Amino acid sequence: MAKLIGGLGTSHVPSIAAALDKGLRDSDEWKPFFDGYSPAQDWVAAQKPDIAVVIFNDHGNAFFLDRVPTLALGVAENYDPIDEGWGPRPVPSFVGAADFAWHLADQMVSSHFDPLICRELQVDHGMQVPMELVFGRPAAWPVKVVPILVNTIQYPIPTPQRMWDLGRVLRAAIQSWPTDEKVIVLGTGGLSHQLQGARAGYINPAEDRKWIADIGPNPQRYRDMTREDYVEVFGSEGAELIMWLVMRGCMDMAVNTLHRHYFAPASMTGAGMVLLENA
Amino acid sequence: MTTVLLIPGLVSDHFVWDAARMALSPLPVAIADVSTQVSIPDMARDLLARHPGRLMIAGHSMGGRVAMEMARMAPGRIAGMALLNTGTHPRREGEEAKRQAMIDHAHAQGMAALAAVWLPGMMNAEAVPDPSLMADLTAMVCRMTPEIHERQLRALLARPDAAATLAYKGPMLLIVGRQDQWSPVAQHQDIARLCPQARLEIVEDAGHFAPVEQPAAVAALLANWAHAVVAADAGLDRIPDTPLFDRPRSNNGYALNKMAMGLSSPEGRAAFVADEPAYLDRFALTPDQRAAVLARDWAEMVRLGGNLFYILKISAVDPTAIRAIGAAQAGLSLDTFLDTRLGKVTNG
Repeated sequence: MAKLIGGLGTSHVPSIAAALDKGLRDSDEWKPFFDGYSPAQDWVAAQKPDIAVVIFNDHGNAFFLDRVPTLALGVAENYDPIDEGWGPRPVPSFVGAADFAWHLADQMVSSHFDPLICRELQVDHGMQVPMELVFGRPAAWPVKVVPILVNTIQYPIPTPQRMWDLGRVLRAAIQSWPTDEKVIVLGTGGLSHQLQGARAGYINPAEDRKWIADIGPNPQRYRDMTREDYVEVFGSEGAELIMWLVMRGCMDMAVNTLHRHYFAPASMTGAGMVLLENA
Repeated sequence: MTTVLLIPGLVSDHFVWDAARMALSPLPVAIADVSTQVSIPDMARDLLARHPGRLMIAGHSMGGRVAMEMARMAPGRIAGMALLNTGTHPRREGEEAKRQAMIDHAHAQGMAALAAVWLPGMMNAEAVPDPSLMADLTAMVCRMTPEIHERQLRALLARPDAAATLAYKGPMLLIVGRQDQWSPVAQHQDIARLCPQARLEIVEDAGHFAPVEQPAAVAALLANWAHAVVAADAGLDRIPDTPLFDRPRSNNGYALNKMAMGLSSPEGRAAFVADEPAYLDRFALTPDQRAAVLARDWAEMVRLGGNLFYILKISAVDPTAIRAIGAAQAGLSLDTFLDTRLGKVTNG
């Protein structure tokens, strides 16, 4: 059976991508941010996962408002970087773990999660940035991917409780996948930020740090919060953090927090990561 | 926070709402004072001024007419409207003479005498009136004066034709006593035809004073409905200065966002750069949206339904830093924005 090696939560701020593209990784502004990811990168490299399941939201790139899937699942053979307005970024195409993705589709629908199933899909910074933060910028990605896209833009967005339950289904799908592949799950988005309205520029480093510290050992508070609570505490786009609950929900209740990192502001966002393994 | 404003009817006060008030807890509740104003529109204007913010309004009898007038004047502030034992029709043939007789009676004989002739016709005629309820209602009427009574009756005689202007689209609850002879069930069915979203509840064994004749039943109907309406209403816009992208915003901003989405292709970007007005002509922007785009007024674009993830693509063509867009929406200089919102770097 496939093995879940760990869960990683991380920001997917587009400015991180822009900094990499401009060669600013080791600049005074960005080096402290990127260096914080190095221990987790080393751990993942040593574990040699075969598949990364990446939970993220499309930011008005692959999907317009003419059709908004609350949940979408990629089953494609390949995912190219999408043109977000500046032309496609020079990152390698992602190879899809299509067989596992179809298995996941079966498991999800059997468990009453009914995603849009995407055979052709281009992916934006929501998936690119986490992959770069975990695997650097290789000539070819060392893992196959399964994208799970969550609508966090147009209301109603799904509830935090539903995200956790999706994590349980994902866990069952990994455990019932009859290969010896190793799987890592990336829950992405956040941390606190707000791009819209007169409250734009809102960040909440104190709550971000609490999230980073508690999402492993004490996730219950975050399972209980409403969508509105997320917006209030983490900002309108900070509500993306509900996608970390998919990752957390697929882990055991008892986990070890192997690495964690926080940096603010990355552009207009509280940014950071946490790496969990089952205890 | 939404306040539940309970509006009593003719020569009535908080007594009519005592049971409802208990059931509505812990929602913030206010009882309207309609004893001083000279017309229904004045009552509505005055209540809107005295009770700021978002309101869920419930009006009994004359109070229902005040509620409908408030919803006409300020529909955007009304989270929901409950109308109890009321109607929409303007003054009827012969009504003035009957009302004048009551005005004269109150002036000549006092409020207790008015209560004695007025109240019995308001109650469920099929039951023997409960003496303690009649005593409480008489006490309520006696808390008013002949002058208040006259002022309210003249306001009622000059009332607007509410049916002609009833265009409220929000959540509505209609409650009427089965035995209400003064404002019968049919009048509420008429309102439900004008406002198809309204839910009509008929309370058994109750006349025109249903809220006190069947206090538990009416309070439960009102409170269950109000709790659901206030919870739904509080959802999205309760966080200040945070315009979540809900159905109205998505609808209002659709063409604007679609225009911006067009900039995710090289062809769209080239067309925008070559002739921006001609590119904008391809989309059904409102004049306000068009002006906001041309002026790069980010706050206005968002106010008009633009979502940052789409309109940000304009900044790919006409480079603008995301932080500058944030500062513009916050109404701050970039330095002040960076300093006060984003603060010092924190790491580790």
